[in-house]
Amino acid sequence: MKHTQLGEFEELVLLVVGSLLDNAYSISIKAELKEKTKRNPSIGALHSALSRLEKKGFISSHEGGATTERGGRRKRFYQITAFGRKALDQSYELRSSLYHTLPKISYAGKG
Amino acid sequence: MQGKDETRSAIPPKWPDKFLGWFCHEDHLEILRGDVYELYDERLGSMQKWQADLLFIIDILGLCRPFAFKKKSQNSTQIAMFKNYFKITYRNFIRQKVYSVLNISGLAIGLACSILIFIYINDELSFDKFHSKSDRIYRVLEKFESEGVGEHSASLPFPTGPALKNDFSRQVEHSVRFFNFQSPSLALANKAADKGFNESNIFFADSTFFNVFDFEMLAGDKETALNEPNSILITRSMVKKYFNDEDPLGKTLEFQGNQNLMVTGILEDAPKNAHFTFDFIVSFSSLKASFGGGYPTTWYWNPCWTYIVLEENTSPESLISQFPDFVDKYFPDFIKDDIELQLQPIEDIHLTSKLDYEIAANSDIKNVYIFGLVAVFILIIAAINFINLSTARANKRAKEVGVRKSLGSAKSQLVNQFIFESILLTFSALLIAVVLVVLVLPAFNGLTEKSVPISILLEPVFLLGLISAGLAIGLLSGFYPAFVLSSFKTVLVLKNGHLKTNGMNFRRVLVTTQFSISIMLIIGTFIVLKQLNFLQNKDAGFDDENVVLIPVIQSPMGQHYENFKTSALQSPHIKSMTAVEEIVGTKFQVGNYQFEGMEQSKPFPRFNVRHDFVSTMNIPLAAGRAYDQTIQTDDSLALVVNETLVESMGWESPEDAVGKRFNFRGELKGKVVGVVKDYNFASKHYPIAPLVITLNTRPGAFNLFIKYVAVKIEGDQIRPAIEDLEKAWLSVLPERPFDFFFLDDRINDAYKAEQKLSDVTLIFSGLAILVACLGLFGLATFSVEQRTKEIGVRKVLGINAGQIMYLLSKEFMILIGVAFLISIPLAYYSLNQWLEGFAFRVDIQIWPFIIAGLLAFLISSATVAFHALKASYINPVDTLKYE
Repeated sequence: MKHTQLGEFEELVLLVVGSLLDNAYSISIKAELKEKTKRNPSIGALHSALSRLEKKGFISSHEGGATTERGGRRKRFYQITAFGRKALDQSYELRSSLYHTLPKISYAGKG
Repeated sequence: MQGKDETRSAIPPKWPDKFLGWFCHEDHLEILRGDVYELYDERLGSMQKWQADLLFIIDILGLCRPFAFKKKSQNSTQIAMFKNYFKITYRNFIRQKVYSVLNISGLAIGLACSILIFIYINDELSFDKFHSKSDRIYRVLEKFESEGVGEHSASLPFPTGPALKNDFSRQVEHSVRFFNFQSPSLALANKAADKGFNESNIFFADSTFFNVFDFEMLAGDKETALNEPNSILITRSMVKKYFNDEDPLGKTLEFQGNQNLMVTGILEDAPKNAHFTFDFIVSFSSLKASFGGGYPTTWYWNPCWTYIVLEENTSPESLISQFPDFVDKYFPDFIKDDIELQLQPIEDIHLTSKLDYEIAANSDIKNVYIFGLVAVFILIIAAINFINLSTARANKRAKEVGVRKSLGSAKSQLVNQFIFESILLTFSALLIAVVLVVLVLPAFNGLTEKSVPISILLEPVFLLGLISAGLAIGLLSGFYPAFVLSSFKTVLVLKNGHLKTNGMNFRRVLVTTQFSISIMLIIGTFIVLKQLNFLQNKDAGFDDENVVLIPVIQSPMGQHYENFKTSALQSPHIKSMTAVEEIVGTKFQVGNYQFEGMEQSKPFPRFNVRHDFVSTMNIPLAAGRAYDQTIQTDDSLALVVNETLVESMGWESPEDAVGKRFNFRGELKGKVVGVVKDYNFASKHYPIAPLVITLNTRPGAFNLFIKYVAVKIEGDQIRPAIEDLEKAWLSVLPERPFDFFFLDDRINDAYKAEQKLSDVTLIFSGLAILVACLGLFGLATFSVEQRTKEIGVRKVLGINAGQIMYLLSKEFMILIGVAFLISIPLAYYSLNQWLEGFAFRVDIQIWPFIIAGLLAFLISSATVAFHALKASYINPVDTLKYE
């Protein structure tokens, strides 16, 4: 099932959408990503990822009402779908199961 | 401070938004637009507007992604073809790296130069246009001349401005006067903070200042700020300098140690693209204190720069036609006939005005033309490179063209393809050029003393200009190669693999053009440098080295001058001292004199001095004597004149002139006591005029007629000499800051326009030659490649390296010879035109031409020699077996 695969950046975006709950729209996602991951994705890259996620069915979206911000233009809010949540769970389980197989020995190099 | 809030309402450039609307699908448009504007507003809080603008553009360009595109039903084969063109362009670029890099870098350098020059010209042309009434503002001028001798003054008598407004109230909307004691610097101090400086940009201005000019005020009220006497407006940077950024409103500054001025407003720093810049504006009525309670009423002394705003729909001619009556009504009888008033549009001042008593030296329209020409030249050279290299390369593409044609490609399609390629390459070059410009703009600003921000590149006019320039160059330079390539005969091409080079003659013409231009630029650079050198170093008839000038106008120095002189001369490092009216060799004033044989007095250039002027400045005497300390009447009954005056009076010789009488208080009892050899008392743009040097020993002269003390010091003891001077100064005027400058530095300021010209031409002609050589290098590479087989055969038959060199360079050398011959008359003619503008100029000698020719020859043979050498190492086996 090729389409259910999550890219690394997509996974981050998906996590952030989930964590922002009702306030997940492009700018807030961008700000959160910047704060948490120290990378600063361009608005183009972000929208591109969001649109891919939506196409794959991991998130759904609806348009908010017009406010006085942004010159009265509406925002598009995103929500994680049950399918998206499941994909995240699977990914997390996969990683932690692999993680626990790491042998507990010390490695070369500093810390 | 005010003004900070403005940024909130700032709006980004319009065109990216339109672009977004163009490519973006409706479903996404509103959301995406909202996003970029929200980001923009957020960024404005933390960065400059231009940075936010730039990021705004980058954001929108970044949104050019498939998900956002309109799902148009596009012609898929066309898209496929473009994809193919793109791919082919890319492959060709990679396959022929040397060509491609030469091609693009040459074009990029050329474009970068042109952009920079365009920025420069754009700024030069923008001078004084930021005032909303700039098309109606005129400066009033006074021409005070008799038989060509006198002055053409940018400034006018005190009463002129108000009288004009009063007499022509229907035509003149406002008038404003500027005054600065014609002094290069005046002292200001913030006593409370113990900060005092000599300031050079202080002006006294009428309260109508803001009715005429639009300067931004940060705090205070434009309507009332200059109404009261003793009010001063200061600029933002001066707030920092005098008040450490504390709120200065209501605080006082001490002017010249004797007048307190209250700060009533803060101005934004004066824009650099104006013919005058200021740091301080003082209310005009503050001047009354310096002139015994009122304004001077004389119509003879003319120290006020006077500007008027004409009412809308009033032609300047209608006012000028009434000036003769105006002159007749007000000016004193003895000068009336020699006076003519004129109007000068404020927008013309910076580029065309070279009058006496300018506020600051102006630029020259000729420089704008020359720079424009250089920009066009460089573009031509770069474009020629592009065309040459593309056509030269055409052979390599012959097979591709053959295959395309046999597969059914129409000629128009091929033309499209090659033009597309050329536009693509031009735009990559343009991109590199813009990056180069951004990198060197700060240095360029430093060189040209401008402050053009990088954001100028984002202005719609500029962007549009850049894009259309890229399209135009791409089209023009792509047209010929496209034409040549697409006209190959299919069968021939496919059979032979390549064609006999087409368009070699055309290329020859282009290369010759390139080198003509380069040689002309080299010659021009030489002559400009030589003229500049001549202006700055030619013996002006007096010795300007090791002369220190100390500004003393409006200072109490008048009472202490003799004490100061005695105490300073005790120093072994100080040779002699005098005092003078203006900076020697740059400026003069005008006075009326009547010598014997004249029916009435006439204006003559005049220079007030103290004793020892002639010896301090080392001006040789032609006859008679200099002013003598022991002869009391020298002050009034004696004059020293120059040789030109002797000649213009028709006196036989300098000896004959000594003893001639002149009118003093109605009687012919004054005598000419000495004649000095001619010296350049004004800049060398002007011929030497008659001159009267007059002794003025009255202490009161230091208010107006004596502005500097001039001191000749020992050349190898500058520091101790200055220290001794300062000691002597402090012993007589302990309260005043000691300030000085060197005469030769200041004299060279008069040649700033020429200095800039030579700097800029030097750099840009160097770059032009570099670009031309890049092209030549490319062509030589090509020509060697073409002839590898021939060289292989010749090697087998025993040719040596020298002969190969000759074989390969012969053709280029002939071209350069032709270029040289073409460039000589063109360069001679245009440089002669330029030099006509100087009264003192160098002759055009033959050696700059020879050197330019040799230089072009050497550089190009070095370029070609590299290839010839490479060709001489060819192993004949490799080239001959390859079939």
